[in-house]
Amino acid sequence: MLLYILRRLASAISVVIVTLVASFALFFLAPTDPAGVICGNRCTAERLEAINESLDLDQPALTQIGLYMKGIVVGRDYVTAGGVVTECSAPCLGYSYTLGQPVTKMLAQALPVTMSIVFGGAIVYFFVGVITGTLAAKHRGSPLDKITVGGSLLINSVPYFVVALLVALYATVLPTSAYHPFLDNPVLWASGLLAAWLTLGLTNAASYTRYSRASMIETLGQDYIRTARSKGISERRIVYRHGVRAALTPVITILGLDIAFQLTNALFTESIFGLPGIGLLTLRAFAQYDLPVLMGGVLLGSVVLVLMNLVVDVVYTFLDPRVRLG
Amino acid sequence: MDTSTEGLAPPAPPASNAVAVAPGAPKPAGQRGKSPTAIAFARLRRDRVAMVSLGIFLFFVLIAIFAPLLAKLEGQSPTELHIDLIDRNGYPIIGVTGDHWFGIEPRLGRDLFARWVYGARPSLIVAGLVTLLTTIIGVTIGLIAGFVGGWTDRILSWVIDFVLSLPYLLFAIAVPAVLLTVFVGNAEGADATQVAEIRFVSLILVLSFFGWAGLARLIRGEVLSLREREFIQAARVLGVPTRQVLFKELLPNLVGPIIVSASIALPSYIVTEAGLTFLGVGLVEPTPSWGYTISTAVTFYRAHPIFLWVPVIGITVLVLALSLLGDAIRDAFDPRTRR
Repeated sequence: MLLYILRRLASAISVVIVTLVASFALFFLAPTDPAGVICGNRCTAERLEAINESLDLDQPALTQIGLYMKGIVVGRDYVTAGGVVTECSAPCLGYSYTLGQPVTKMLAQALPVTMSIVFGGAIVYFFVGVITGTLAAKHRGSPLDKITVGGSLLINSVPYFVVALLVALYATVLPTSAYHPFLDNPVLWASGLLAAWLTLGLTNAASYTRYSRASMIETLGQDYIRTARSKGISERRIVYRHGVRAALTPVITILGLDIAFQLTNALFTESIFGLPGIGLLTLRAFAQYDLPVLMGGVLLGSVVLVLMNLVVDVVYTFLDPRVRLG
Repeated sequence: MDTSTEGLAPPAPPASNAVAVAPGAPKPAGQRGKSPTAIAFARLRRDRVAMVSLGIFLFFVLIAIFAPLLAKLEGQSPTELHIDLIDRNGYPIIGVTGDHWFGIEPRLGRDLFARWVYGARPSLIVAGLVTLLTTIIGVTIGLIAGFVGGWTDRILSWVIDFVLSLPYLLFAIAVPAVLLTVFVGNAEGADATQVAEIRFVSLILVLSFFGWAGLARLIRGEVLSLREREFIQAARVLGVPTRQVLFKELLPNLVGPIIVSASIALPSYIVTEAGLTFLGVGLVEPTPSWGYTISTAVTFYRAHPIFLWVPVIGITVLVLALSLLGDAIRDAFDPRTRR
């Protein structure tokens, strides 16, 4: 088990390092001229050179990647044109070209927003999906079942960003979307995120209805369920105790992967509801050609994805004792 | 055409009894030799939802193909400005008229019907091309990884896992930014048409780069199990060249999963294209695109709702039809589906 985790961790780290090198090469070593972007249109040659020097852009490629990695692990110092030393402590991802703030700080501010949206939405779609899916499976073939299945197929087929946009524009009964830190005011935090949670939650609930219905139907056909029935246990207890417990295992795996996916793909929700998460940060950085912020966003995204995949695999062994990692 | 190329090796026996028959050709080889693909298509033809969805999809394809003709029929073009029909606040003074079937755009006064029919084009072209590219790449890589095995498989599997663990939407934002600075230099003062072209190409490249890995993994898994089956063993023993084993023996057995995966991918790429364009990181003007129209229409959604709703309905209906079709195709190819 421990060996398995270590091996997976090694492979995860290799993925993150390759992502880092590849995106660094893409962003900084391709002829993208970051100094020109900072310097603007009326730029003198000396100023350009000074910027290049202060960002170490005049160094050879390998040194630059080395410095960037060193910044992440132990921090690094930037020497600006006037000889002023700015210390950037680990994990240092550089400074935003347009705002001058440390990228690490910007990401640290944006991450809780994205996490609030995704985990809040996940609670909504998981519970709504599992409840409707279980009900549909229990009454399989009934009109209720058919409506649930057909409805979830329809909801799943409508483009998400269109739904989110229409909710944001027309559902004026919901409180205005805005982000307030949870620790400042939990009520404001929840009400500001409610529209995003409901949109993300109810659209995704459709898939979970289908997953849990299918899984439940399969479980209810198992021998041990028949045994339970023959023992005279009430139908309700069979479905909600014996059935749900076993049927949920595959659904929870999908949930973990979905959360990982949404953490890096929440930008539609964020930009439509105006919530300043990772996606919106990356979008702004794109508009302003702010390469260090883009790079930081991509890097954080890949770390989150890789870690979540690992967590899902490990958690799965606890949920399903038949799975052995080796 | 097989017999002439197989001069050296003795001709391979038909690879199949019931399992593998060339795709598409529903000719009965005995009395009961219907291929799984033929059975699936027969099922599909009986599925009313699937046929209606297919009709809607073809309707949009026709709109895209004949966009110039339709615009000419109306007598408008997607780029012509009608400033004379715009009032001082930027709102159009006309609604839906005989000249402008869907009315005109606020501020610039371009004809909405013409923009709508032209808007179907980039959606279908981008999604179609990306689906085609990802299918070709995914199938090829999956076939090679599964069939060759050993180190090739290990390396290719790592690459597949690697691509799957990249945050793809974030890259979809970041890569065009880099490509733009590479090809156009500083964004100001760049030529709009050139920027639009680069955006178009880079969108297709990025989506293709991230799209193939899922299918490759699926195909690899299928090949791993097919590889050990008797007909493949037989073909190899007979000395059939590897390339022929791959594309003549294995590929026909993979038609089902490939068609299913492509039919599910197509609508999802339409959504991705429109979504990224809506966010301002996909296609840009002057390319007429539904995603772009939606993003500009948001400002006017109260005063001029038709501006917003025309592209919204267009994309929703198209994607809905394609998704239902994809779902029906998956059911038709799934032997476990109860009829």
